[in-house]
Amino acid sequence: MKFIFCILLFSTAKTLFSMNASWNSNSAEIITEKRWEIGLFQPFRYGYSEKTEISAHPLIFFVMPNVSVKKQEKRFRGFNCASKISFRYPTPLLNIISKKGIGGVIDPNLESPPMVSLSYSWIMSKSLNGFDMTIKNGIDFALVLGSLDNRATIDLPLVYHRLALYNNGWGYHNGIDIQKRINKSFSLLVDMDFLILPEIAKMQSDPSFKSLRGLYSLEHKFLLSWEKSKNFRVTTGYKLVRAELPFGEQTRLLPYLPLFESWVPIIELQWAGVKK
Amino acid sequence: MRSLKLVLFSTIVLNSCDPFVSDFSQAGDAIMYEASDIPDSISVYDGGPIKVVTWNIRFGSGRFPFFGDSCGDDVIADQKHINTIMQQIADTLNMIDADIVLLQEVDVSSKRTGYLDQVQYLLDNTYYNYACYASMWKADFVPTDGIGKMNTGNAILSKYELTDAERIQLRLRTDQDDLVQYFYLRRNILKVKIPSLSQGGRDFFAVDIHATAFATDDTKEKHIEQYSEVLSDIVVENGDFVSGGDLNSVPPGSAIDFCESDKCDNEVCDDDFENNDAYQGSYFAHFDGEPDILLSLYNTYSPAISNNDGSTLLPENHTHAPSTSMLNDSTYTKHDRKLDYLFTNGSWQQGSGYTHQAAWELSDHMPVSAIYTPASGGR
Repeated sequence: MKFIFCILLFSTAKTLFSMNASWNSNSAEIITEKRWEIGLFQPFRYGYSEKTEISAHPLIFFVMPNVSVKKQEKRFRGFNCASKISFRYPTPLLNIISKKGIGGVIDPNLESPPMVSLSYSWIMSKSLNGFDMTIKNGIDFALVLGSLDNRATIDLPLVYHRLALYNNGWGYHNGIDIQKRINKSFSLLVDMDFLILPEIAKMQSDPSFKSLRGLYSLEHKFLLSWEKSKNFRVTTGYKLVRAELPFGEQTRLLPYLPLFESWVPIIELQWAGVKK
Repeated sequence: MRSLKLVLFSTIVLNSCDPFVSDFSQAGDAIMYEASDIPDSISVYDGGPIKVVTWNIRFGSGRFPFFGDSCGDDVIADQKHINTIMQQIADTLNMIDADIVLLQEVDVSSKRTGYLDQVQYLLDNTYYNYACYASMWKADFVPTDGIGKMNTGNAILSKYELTDAERIQLRLRTDQDDLVQYFYLRRNILKVKIPSLSQGGRDFFAVDIHATAFATDDTKEKHIEQYSEVLSDIVVENGDFVSGGDLNSVPPGSAIDFCESDKCDNEVCDDDFENNDAYQGSYFAHFDGEPDILLSLYNTYSPAISNNDGSTLLPENHTHAPSTSMLNDSTYTKHDRKLDYLFTNGSWQQGSGYTHQAAWELSDHMPVSAIYTPASGGR
């Protein structure tokens, strides 16, 4: 039970973060060669070479194998550019949380078949008047080897649009990040991400039912980071999500503690080092 | 400018903070509905008797082996199955052709039933024009058995306009831990005024209840007490009512132990009524006086099915059997007890009380109808 909640918390939380700057996983900048970074909810990132960065979420790797490779591309009109390819295999995780009793998030009668997703992102970053701006665009594809029941979705903000990709087959994502360094130790990040599952309504098995929805997820976050050193920093902030889900539209301020019916600030700790 | 931004941000934040699980106030407004198309001809009361029906429709799932209320394993129903059952429920309601319908276990936005708004569906597929709804279980996400989002409750449908709908909170169970109770049901009484049926300065009300089924403490007693108080208040204020619902209580004189017929394969009936889950919902003497808990209602008001002549105990008036209760490997137990009732402080047309057992496949409960006779014989 605790294990499942940890996995869910982690799976959700990792989408809350994704930061910029030298700790930057979302910008076009490539982490310095042989430098590594990791956070409670952030992926493990490693500078494989001067132009290539590899990342993965190690804590959930064994239940959801995942890896991303970011590669530096040629500069374009003053923008640093990078391409990023991500691979995920969520089947083991989904089958773990498809269970009876407390912690059962998916109907235990619905087994997820083998399925993989591949995401491609084009990332452009530029410094403008002391602000670091990143624009990203990308497309997501999913391949399902078998029959995936349309009821095997998790209808929660942040989660639904990342998993319903496997029902829909493809999706589109884009976003903008703006980061401002306040002083040597503190920096701010504001971002907006937009995820679209363009033909999700066609999943509907029975046309006489109300159309299944879930077209978009608009996600905004605001983060304040304190960088103690090059090797440690603390981040806090919030994430606001406005999304269309199968039952209608919903807005949520995250993280949210259900039992206390209250929002709590994000708390993230990150560590870094250099491989000798 | 900074203040404006702060106000805007606060507005967004506050609007985004709907509770994850709705905890209702003691008394609150119900949600009002109207049919998409309301023909004038049948929305005006033209006098004569008033037919009333109560029905726990089990969220339109028929005899679906739902894990929560039977020995089944299923959680999320197939949409086509729900659609078929809902159409049959609508057809049955049209056939019964009551003026007022008291429904229990109606889903309006639940993952288990494909997020179909069943109140609106019934309004748009029956002769009914107006409805009100009071949720008894509203949670954004229930992290158990894959239930997910849940919004289910009581509804009243009517051919005539409804006003002053009120959701009256029933006491929560005390035999659950805090975490289970947080995600659990908040049962209620739904009370509404029907102005066009008022007569001689006396307001006319419909009152719908779904009392606890599985509590092993005194919650059921409290629910029936609260129900009696609501009905009594109407009488004290010179009102008339038709009322009913799924009281999850057997009539006086009925058998009280259904464990042997209700138990699942892995359960044993060992007379440990307090701790053995097999007795939840199948045993009707968890506290002193439970077997006769409905006696005061029978003594105070007029029942659709009489208790004095023993009618309530007759098999033709049984309204319920658990959805997976089987006589043998291929035969369902269609019904083996009465849990659903209609009462009024006026009078029912003699012999009009009827249990529609032909509808046994559409729910684990069967509709009960009766014809209310206005004091003047016609309104």
